[in-house]
Amino acid sequence: MKLALRSVNSSRSAYAYIFFSSMFFQHYCWTAVSQPCQKEKQLSLPCKLLIKSVLPVFRCVNVLERNVEKCSIYTNTNEHHITFQLLCRNGVIKTYNLTFQECDPLQAVFAKHMCPNILKVHSRLLADIMIHFPTSQEEVTLSVTPMKVCFRSYAEEDADFSKTMLTEIQLNPDEFDYFQVGVDSEVTFCLKELRGLLAFSEATHGPVSIHFDVSGRPVAFSIEDMVLEASFILATLSDIDNGTASQEPLCCSRIPESSKAFMDKSENSSMDKDGNAEAAASKRPRQNENEHNTEPAAPASPVAKRNTCNSGNILKDLEGTAMPETDGQAVLEAESRESQYHKFQFLFFGAVSPKKDAISHTSHSLATASDTEEDFGNMQSSQVL
Amino acid sequence: MRFRAKIVDLACLNNFSRVVNTIARLAKTCTLRLTADKLYFILCDKVANGGVSMWCELCQGNFFDEFQMEGVAADHNEIYLELTPENLSRALKTAQSAKAVKIKLTNKHCPCLKVSVELPSLSSSSRIVTHDIPVKVIPRRLWNDFREPRVPDFDVSIYLPALKTMKSVVERMKNLSHSIVIEANLNGEMNLKIETDLVSVTTHFKNLGNPPWASEDGCQSSAQDRDLESMAEARIDIKKLQQLLAGQQVNPTKALCNIVSKRIVHFILLHEDVSLQYFIPALA
Repeated sequence: MKLALRSVNSSRSAYAYIFFSSMFFQHYCWTAVSQPCQKEKQLSLPCKLLIKSVLPVFRCVNVLERNVEKCSIYTNTNEHHITFQLLCRNGVIKTYNLTFQECDPLQAVFAKHMCPNILKVHSRLLADIMIHFPTSQEEVTLSVTPMKVCFRSYAEEDADFSKTMLTEIQLNPDEFDYFQVGVDSEVTFCLKELRGLLAFSEATHGPVSIHFDVSGRPVAFSIEDMVLEASFILATLSDIDNGTASQEPLCCSRIPESSKAFMDKSENSSMDKDGNAEAAASKRPRQNENEHNTEPAAPASPVAKRNTCNSGNILKDLEGTAMPETDGQAVLEAESRESQYHKFQFLFFGAVSPKKDAISHTSHSLATASDTEEDFGNMQSSQVL
Repeated sequence: MRFRAKIVDLACLNNFSRVVNTIARLAKTCTLRLTADKLYFILCDKVANGGVSMWCELCQGNFFDEFQMEGVAADHNEIYLELTPENLSRALKTAQSAKAVKIKLTNKHCPCLKVSVELPSLSSSSRIVTHDIPVKVIPRRLWNDFREPRVPDFDVSIYLPALKTMKSVVERMKNLSHSIVIEANLNGEMNLKIETDLVSVTTHFKNLGNPPWASEDGCQSSAQDRDLESMAEARIDIKKLQQLLAGQQVNPTKALCNIVSKRIVHFILLHEDVSLQYFIPALA
């Protein structure tokens, strides 16, 4: 049983998820409710919330830590409400009722275990590295050989070198808790999208794992401990000059309805706010943990041949094809191309349900971008019901 | 043209960072002049700067453990570079615990000051952070633009009040008005005044003391004959004054200003190893 939060950015170049196991919470309860229109008992109801609505609930972590004794989250599917209740000192209770909308969950699938390059580093070290880059630095290149690791700021070829300051940090493999380099590679990703995870990792004090491959393939930054698992999967610049720009799409995963996955618009999550409420959290959401494994990171190989999804018939569509087939995915691609990261390898997403209207609804929602830069972490609360 | 320098001592590094931070607050772009003995940060009084000019002088020996420089030519053994001090400030910011900082003039794609910071790390070899700061080499024919400004023929010279106090006064005044009047006399009195339609505020400082300037051929005679109570005043842009005061991170050994009535205010801030002169012209 777990609570899954997922988010994707508007250009579809960054996907984040955070799973909180039921052990994270003081109390955790989910009851499946069957809807009259559905054939089988509904094990999950994917829904989305506006990040801008949820953030104010958890703003000001310091205030939260001092005042909030308990945080209670519950929902009633009939009313399409999720209620966040903060029980504070002195009998003050703050209740936030947020309307959710149903949506089709998506997930990017990325075979972390298949990555030839894996680095594990303490969160402190990662923070110490990234601090050398100005906050305005958009993209950063991570370059590895078995002998050294280098992070440097990335500037486009047509950038004005006489104006931009370039920063480079060289590290010895010794500094990493775990260092595996199967293939020399240079991956360029968006540092801005990662800041959320960096902040979260400092709060959780856990080691951060970096899984990556050659340029063009995504890079995953993950944190895992006993009660939670977080991962930010970022698209990387593909090396077009090299000619090996493989356009192999990532696994497109159709998440069966019984799964807990759902996806929405907006930017990456930073879970530090939730993370800090951990001592106080007492949740009673209606949740379902998908018995079947739909770990987004689990799938075996990039192109099709996936056996993690339940809906076997959907898989057949994907097998052996380089391009996703459904309308929903085609729409996503088209939108992706217009994005500013035109050279970035996109993460391909799979729509969940075969329903056409649901798909178009999804692509609609994915197009919305978040405006504020200073949203420290746009936390997406994903409730699976 | 060659330049390389190295700082190993943390205290020197901190000092140098502080100077660079101060400069970064005062100018978006400025000129760095390197000679065998000294470094200068220069801002000349172009209209783009709002007419302010700056001259900051450091003895390289007080900061650098190694300093090697070869100018453009043997008889002009100097280098003039145009740079954005904010970049240098940023590069030094994260070098707080560095084992060594090296600065070198390079020319790969374009001329750069390469700042290499060697940081301690848990592993056997250090962590190395390099920053390539783009610079422009200023050709010799333009060097005349950057000569040391003369001390103007001032009417009054006076020591400044405690910078911290002056800063907080000016900051509050900044919210009310765009310009501020500085007036002072040879009796150690200074007033900071603002006046708008709604409000006028004056802060009075007393017993500040007037620095003794050695008289040179009577050029100070105008000052010496002056009535002690008579105020010399100049109205200047308050933001410029606020920037100057806000940029001071350490209290100077000596801080004074020379006022040329209705023309210009010349600030001199002296520290042990660095001197800063800042000119703010009077508003029309």
